Amino acid sequence: MAATETDFTNALTPRYMAWYSFTRNPTAIIGALMVISVVVLAVFAPLIAPYPEHVGAAVNFRARHAAPDWTYWLGTDKVGRDILTRVIFGFRISLLLVVGVLAIAVPIGSALGLLAGYFSGWTEKIITGFTNVMLAIPPLVMALAIGNVLEPNLVNAMIAITLLWWTWHARLVYRVSKSIASEDFVEAARLAGASHWHILTREILPNCISVISVKTTLDAAFVILFGATLSFLGLGVKPPTPDLGSMVADGRQFLPEMWWGVLAPGFAIFYATLGFNLLGDGLRDMFDVEV
Amino acid sequence: MTGASMQENYLQTFAKRIAGFIGVLFVLSLMIFVLARVVPGDPARIALGPSATQEQVDAMRLAMGLDEPVIKQYFAYIWNALHGDLGRSLISSRPVTREIAALLPATLELVIVTIVIMTLVAIPLGVVTARYRNSWIDNTGRFFSIVGVTMPSFLFAILLQLFAAYFLTDWPIIGRINHGLSPPVGPTGLLLVDSLVHGRLDVFTDAFQRVLFPALALAMSGIGQITRITRSAMIEHQRRDHVLTLQSFGVPDRVIVFSYLLKLSSIAPLTIMGLEFASLIGNAFVVELVFSWGGFASYGLEAILQKDLNAVMAVVLISGLFFIVANIVIDLILLVIDPRLRLKETN
Amino acid sequence: MSELLKVDGLDVSFHTYGRRLHVLKDVTLAIPQGGRVALIGETGSGKSVTSKAILGTLPGNAKIESGRILFKGDDVLAMPRGKRDALKGTAFSIIMQDPLSSFNPVFRIGRHLDDVMRFADLRLGNRSSTAERRQRIFEVLRKVQLADPERVCAAYPSQLSGGMRQRVLIALSLLHQPQLLIADEPGTALDVTTQDEIMKLINRLVAENGLSLLMITHNLGVVRQMADEIYVMRHGEIVEHGPLSEIFSRPRQAYTRQLIDAIPPLYGANVTDQEPAAGDAIVEIDGVSKVFEDRPLFGRGHRHVAVNDVSLAIRRGEVFGLAGESGSGKTTVARMIMGLIRASDGKLRIDGKPVEEQRGSAAFRRKIQIVYQNPGTSLNPKRTVGQTLRVPLAFAGMRGKAVEDRIRELLLQVDLPDHYVSKYPHELSGGQKQRVAIARALAADPEIIVLDEPTSALDVSVQKNVIALLTRLREELGLTYLFISHDLSLMRNFCSRIAIMLRGEIVEAGEPRQVFETPEHPYTRALIAAVPVISDEEEKRKPAVSDEDRRRYLVDTAA
Repeated sequence: MAATETDFTNALTPRYMAWYSFTRNPTAIIGALMVISVVVLAVFAPLIAPYPEHVGAAVNFRARHAAPDWTYWLGTDKVGRDILTRVIFGFRISLLLVVGVLAIAVPIGSALGLLAGYFSGWTEKIITGFTNVMLAIPPLVMALAIGNVLEPNLVNAMIAITLLWWTWHARLVYRVSKSIASEDFVEAARLAGASHWHILTREILPNCISVISVKTTLDAAFVILFGATLSFLGLGVKPPTPDLGSMVADGRQFLPEMWWGVLAPGFAIFYATLGFNLLGDGLRDMFDVEV
Repeated sequence: MTGASMQENYLQTFAKRIAGFIGVLFVLSLMIFVLARVVPGDPARIALGPSATQEQVDAMRLAMGLDEPVIKQYFAYIWNALHGDLGRSLISSRPVTREIAALLPATLELVIVTIVIMTLVAIPLGVVTARYRNSWIDNTGRFFSIVGVTMPSFLFAILLQLFAAYFLTDWPIIGRINHGLSPPVGPTGLLLVDSLVHGRLDVFTDAFQRVLFPALALAMSGIGQITRITRSAMIEHQRRDHVLTLQSFGVPDRVIVFSYLLKLSSIAPLTIMGLEFASLIGNAFVVELVFSWGGFASYGLEAILQKDLNAVMAVVLISGLFFIVANIVIDLILLVIDPRLRLKETN
Repeated sequence: MSELLKVDGLDVSFHTYGRRLHVLKDVTLAIPQGGRVALIGETGSGKSVTSKAILGTLPGNAKIESGRILFKGDDVLAMPRGKRDALKGTAFSIIMQDPLSSFNPVFRIGRHLDDVMRFADLRLGNRSSTAERRQRIFEVLRKVQLADPERVCAAYPSQLSGGMRQRVLIALSLLHQPQLLIADEPGTALDVTTQDEIMKLINRLVAENGLSLLMITHNLGVVRQMADEIYVMRHGEIVEHGPLSEIFSRPRQAYTRQLIDAIPPLYGANVTDQEPAAGDAIVEIDGVSKVFEDRPLFGRGHRHVAVNDVSLAIRRGEVFGLAGESGSGKTTVARMIMGLIRASDGKLRIDGKPVEEQRGSAAFRRKIQIVYQNPGTSLNPKRTVGQTLRVPLAFAGMRGKAVEDRIRELLLQVDLPDHYVSKYPHELSGGQKQRVAIARALAADPEIIVLDEPTSALDVSVQKNVIALLTRLREELGLTYLFISHDLSLMRNFCSRIAIMLRGEIVEAGEPRQVFETPEHPYTRALIAAVPVISDEEEKRKPAVSDEDRRRYLVDTAA
């Protein structure tokens, strides 16, 4: 039976099957739209935000702690700045963090995972041993420790998160590349005289790309979450730059009455992480991979 | 295969894991030690405050052994750590271990309740969503699990507090216990246990009410992950031949799902639960802050913000130890569940 | 004879990725009371779907469009769920195909057996105690020649050998004396000698208990022993049916004839004798051993002697066959010749020079190439045929147009059209993938090619074409083959010399005619005797095996 089924599905191209799964998955499409909206808001923030001047250290005491209304859709904060504006600009910081962390952590983690999976022996032992140690460290605790040793700001938060993040990619890519490295076609390529470089980049890596891209999308969500948590705890971007995590921390002092001060930035974070996560889930179903 | 060799393999597998964990702890201590030594800022200066004279700082450096070679300092640190001495807090100058020991039960209690909630909610939810795949039950369950994964712990904690503030006005949401109740002391330090030991139902009720929301907030992300893993493991195993074997002979679906598949599918979530423990400890920092829990994590956060290096190192090490103990427990459970881990590969 | 089961005009379709695939078209077949019926067909013919439809275990995306399945005149498709479930295991039972994955790895064998028996008892309205069920289970296990039922029940699936698991699967189907046994390729994953034992066991059980049998298989040799009546299936349709003797001697359909003709004969007039090669020895192996050791950090290490004191010589231009069952060490020998693993002891020479000195050198790599068993994993799914073939050519120093020309030439040599250059592996059939793998091996202009069971994953008709291609290439290019296989009838016709391996040692070697006509070693005799053949004449000419030898080499139940 299994054989018959594969035989029939052979007639369907992988691309068709992937596209079919993706388009039949409403949550994946919703996720994609959410991600696009966050990116658009972040990129065109100055054009979209209603009060771009409220981004900095502006004060507007007459309207402080205003509840949401038609003038300030999401209300204002303790010095009267429009929360909607600051949320939109807050997305910029979040996405900057995502790009900064993943642009470094993903290539490094993937490269190490690839090496560990392909070369057995000491390369494998050292890399997997080191990743296992890193995984035993509560990431938030470590990031807090690093972030505080350095000066709390965006770049240092980025460094702290990156230092921990690559291990997850290394682990995942290691698992995949290890199993691919044992396939006959890798040995065949080696017997055909291919170099290690060729085998790593042309034979193994292409088979890891779908896993890496799914993981990266899911990671975007977690980096946003992680960065927000760091700044919520006071180790993120310095005021007055609008950052979603520190906006929640600020607003918390005025609970439960001024709920919008917390809920607006809080749900903004949630919106972004949910979007990336739904998209990542959809991609996972689409490529049919374990992440 | 004889019973003896199976036993031997059992021990061997387990000994290997323990050895691995000891290695982890060793490297972790080395990393955190190096990190603490490259910090800009003199620990002696932090301990004495800005008003101290240079002579006082120098004397302090000598007393703290900061002028010794780093390698020597490290081994002295490890030696002392093995004897239960992780140095003195730079801020309070009390022994760090004693300070942490006083706060650990609070966090332990929170974490244990969290794990209980996590297991009780996530695994059944995973099984049910897999069983009724693509029905409204599945969609709802999946929605909640994805919310659990993606919602920041602090937001969920705050939402719970807001909920209590507006709708459950009598529900205590701050702190671990109403100190007016004069809670009993000992033997475990866990209020939920001690109050029952001493027959103090009022304390138990109060403590239980207070632990519920923080534990829920802390459990949220784990529930999301584990539900998802359980569900996909169930679905993955459903396609296997062994299910077909039982179906072919008319073994009822409920037996296949709740007995055969459940045991097989609990392996993956248990493994993940071990790894999740690292982020659980991290989230405890946030949740303890929001609920003014006054546990180990709050202490850690305070230590980090004040650059109390000895305390920070102790917190990181003990967090790592937490992770390792949890994983050893999970490994033991897995050894019981999965015979393949105990048996030698027989080709 | 009345009909026990009748499948009448059955149409089944699968729905995957928004497409409807019609997998069974108007399938009609009948199994008489006490009859033995075989359903044969190649991969994808729909034979297993038919059995699943009868059992009611079709996957969720399958739909029965029309048709009836009558068991003693009652349509099981029209029955309510409960009534239909009540038939399972009691009216008809299945013997499952793949023994390892057929059991849940975290439950003991005994638990599987007990649950199946318990719920069938419940459906029949019997209340049984655990102890009583245990008795009955032990009885059935003894019936399938499992001598120590207690140990079998206490074992986890991975602790039993493949043959033992297959026996447990048979026991599972016999727990409640069904009237019809459906055997879905039993023993296919097992070694040929074990498979032979299993077939004999099923046959005996069917005869002794007066059961009816529906045998689903792709192996015509098996059919000859196991069935009186045959249905031939292709692309979801029954193309031919009739009594065994008629189908085998006078097939009406071209497809059936093609299937029968594709099977290499073991004895008789149609056997091909390959010319013995007269060339000098290109590969010389002298007293080679290989011991695998692992030394864990804790506890005792394991030592496994994979190859023990093997000596052989392969002459230039010959097809040297290395036969043996799984674990006999034949692949290890080949990998040592290729320089992929080091020998623990002994000398290996190629072209007179020690392998140890040459391994890793470019010239050595180009001299000896390999074609793997599994076409699914031997090609990179992310690379086109052209990209795959370009690697060895680039290594050989070819550039630009020369590469493209050579690729075209290679495809021509393996009978694939030009435009296949841009195809990905998923666009190719199993046989075509294997042709690409052969082209890749040829690209480096090798002198020796190791063929590691190159056709065992292919259907017989495809196998025949691939073998013909290999034969032609050897003649055209003057290649030397080291052919590793467990398929003795294929080796009889394809090899110019063969060696039989057992537990790491060569027990017999020589020209095929001599080895098959007058096998010396009792293991060789047992191995040949176990090969399923399609004619009585061949069956008669098989060597005799004494009971003592059978026990010594074949029976795995005592393991």
